[in-house]
Amino acid sequence: MLNKTTRMLTGLAASLLTVTALSGAAFAQSVNLTYLIPSGPENQVIADEVVKAFEAANPDINVDIETRPGGSEGDNLIKTRLATGAMADVFLYNSGSLFQAINPQQFLVDLTNEPWQADVQASFKPVVTAPDGTIRGAPARAAMAGGIYYNKKIYEELGLSVPKTWAEFMANNEKIKAAGKVAVIQTYGDTWTSQLFVLADFFNVQAKDPQFASRYTANEAKFATDPAALRGFEKLQETHDAGFFNEDFGAAKYDDGIRMIAMGEGAHYPMLTFATTAIAQAYPDNIGDVGFFAQPGDEADLNGLTVWMPDGVYIAQTTPNLDAAKKFVAFIASVPGCEAQTRAGGASGPYLINGCTLPADVPPAVTDMLPYFAEGGQNAPALEFLSPIKGPALEQITVEVGSGFRPAADGAALYDEDVRKQAQQLGLPGW
Amino acid sequence: MKSRPSIFLGIIAILVSALVFLVPFAFIILTAFKNKQQATLLDFSWPDGFHLWSNIVEVVTTRNWMMVTAFINSTILTVASVTLLVVFAAMVGFVLARRKTRWNGLIEFLILAGLMIPPAVVPTIWLLQGIGLFGKLHGLVLIEVAYGLPFSIILYRAFIATIPRELDEAAIIDGARPFDVFFRIILPLLWPVTVTNIVVQSVGVFNDFTNPLYYLPGNANATVQLTLYNFQSQFNTSYNLLFTNILLITIPPLLVFLFFNRHIVAGMTAGAVKG
Repeated sequence: MLNKTTRMLTGLAASLLTVTALSGAAFAQSVNLTYLIPSGPENQVIADEVVKAFEAANPDINVDIETRPGGSEGDNLIKTRLATGAMADVFLYNSGSLFQAINPQQFLVDLTNEPWQADVQASFKPVVTAPDGTIRGAPARAAMAGGIYYNKKIYEELGLSVPKTWAEFMANNEKIKAAGKVAVIQTYGDTWTSQLFVLADFFNVQAKDPQFASRYTANEAKFATDPAALRGFEKLQETHDAGFFNEDFGAAKYDDGIRMIAMGEGAHYPMLTFATTAIAQAYPDNIGDVGFFAQPGDEADLNGLTVWMPDGVYIAQTTPNLDAAKKFVAFIASVPGCEAQTRAGGASGPYLINGCTLPADVPPAVTDMLPYFAEGGQNAPALEFLSPIKGPALEQITVEVGSGFRPAADGAALYDEDVRKQAQQLGLPGW
Repeated sequence: MKSRPSIFLGIIAILVSALVFLVPFAFIILTAFKNKQQATLLDFSWPDGFHLWSNIVEVVTTRNWMMVTAFINSTILTVASVTLLVVFAAMVGFVLARRKTRWNGLIEFLILAGLMIPPAVVPTIWLLQGIGLFGKLHGLVLIEVAYGLPFSIILYRAFIATIPRELDEAAIIDGARPFDVFFRIILPLLWPVTVTNIVVQSVGVFNDFTNPLYYLPGNANATVQLTLYNFQSQFNTSYNLLFTNILLITIPPLLVFLFFNRHIVAGMTAGAVKG
């Protein structure tokens, strides 16, 4: 009797094992390369098109796309998979300070001597350079910028022109408000959107004080005491105090923000330019009404754009297919690579690869960005690409300042305190 | 005999629970019917057109029919881990309830520790890599069993204490061996708790998101909860497809729940009186 039951048990266990083992074999695809990207429909579409073009050019290599969550969950996942040696062959991840946080020297393949590096624009290279001076990544996307979206219909209706100075911007806002419309859209339901007035003001800080970033890293310059840097917080407070915001600014979400700017429910929306793709997908009929300008400074001749460097693609050192992976990265950083991206996702901004051009029919919000890149000297990288310090509580502080709970100077001082903790954690000299 | 106020209160309670449970579900269904533009508004409105079918087709075919792979994986994962959980937890519960030794205190402490101490991801992955189970479905089955075991054992142990010891003794006198006592006498009597365990654990395993995310990388290994991330990102979300996906993957646990519904509460309270 015991024998019967034990046999039954072993049978059960064996069948369970076979079922699980079979599924592993039956659904595994025969692949050569894996490519890990952040999730989301637009990332997926762009990666699909790039992979399709790459596979057409390299029929012997098969690329399998995996997705991961974005945000801090994604950061954890990337670090976990790198630390356990389970990383995909090629992966897409932020450049700049987040890139430094994944310990590139230990985990990523050195790409300094790849031939395609000659075509990568010089401004991108520092943000994917490991502490030992080797370049470990290639630009994966178009550059982004932080600035202000505006609704062209409202501008036409009220006869306004694109402001070159902050005073002109505020005058425009007055007229828009007098016409009974929402002048500035703010969406604190997604707290990260509140930082734009401060972050996108960095070109103006840099124009006044070219050494700000290095002095800031060395604990010599402060947001609260540097008058140029403090302006970002002051601008946020001024627009709130003048009553330019939409009524539901405290609860509205980023998705509401792009709807309002596309449909003309508001005139200005400070945002990063990746929103162009989102507007084009969600409101294809209204994308022509949305324009873009850099956040104006106090002087008209110092008008320029704050630029966010695109994500990079990296090769994990654990890859068994290094040659194929290098070919794939080289393809992404080539003209056919950026053409494939434009085909799939439309153009959201200029590429950082020499020879990549944008098609003629790009949305006006993208065309509006190009002059800042073309004439040279009129754009600057955002502070987070020049300094490793970015305090984690900035979005909460800007929500307070933007909601009128805390004066600008007070907010800037609080942010300096927040930054101190992070600088000490990073072990920077001078803190 | 019920007095008028208590009937009145009952009706209010039913209405409130309907509001709490049915309204979000209605929102999911309505959004699944919408197109992308209308879904982005995220409001409680009647859909402009009938887009459910095209949404379903898009959700299921996205990323090379990932949803189908995910359903197969999730089904295998859920069935395998819940089967092992029920068998192992009932066995441990049986021994713990019947045999008093000086180790019982330590074992119960370990079970409670399993409930309370959060698992660490990286060491677990190292262990799995060491035994060659990382990134494999049976590796994740073992993890789900390990995480679910303490709760199941506690349920079983409390219930087994209510089964008279005389039943085992009668079986032993009739010539049953230990395995026969367990599988032929005790396990059938545990049915109410087993149903509770099956429902609670299978819903838990089926809905698990973080464990598959960390322990099962790769497209071929996707489980249903991971397919949600196909349509959701930090900056751009297709709410119509996301909610259609939610609708599709909510159906299986809902069926399990409806099917076993009557047994659940009975099983939950079965072991609660005497412990």
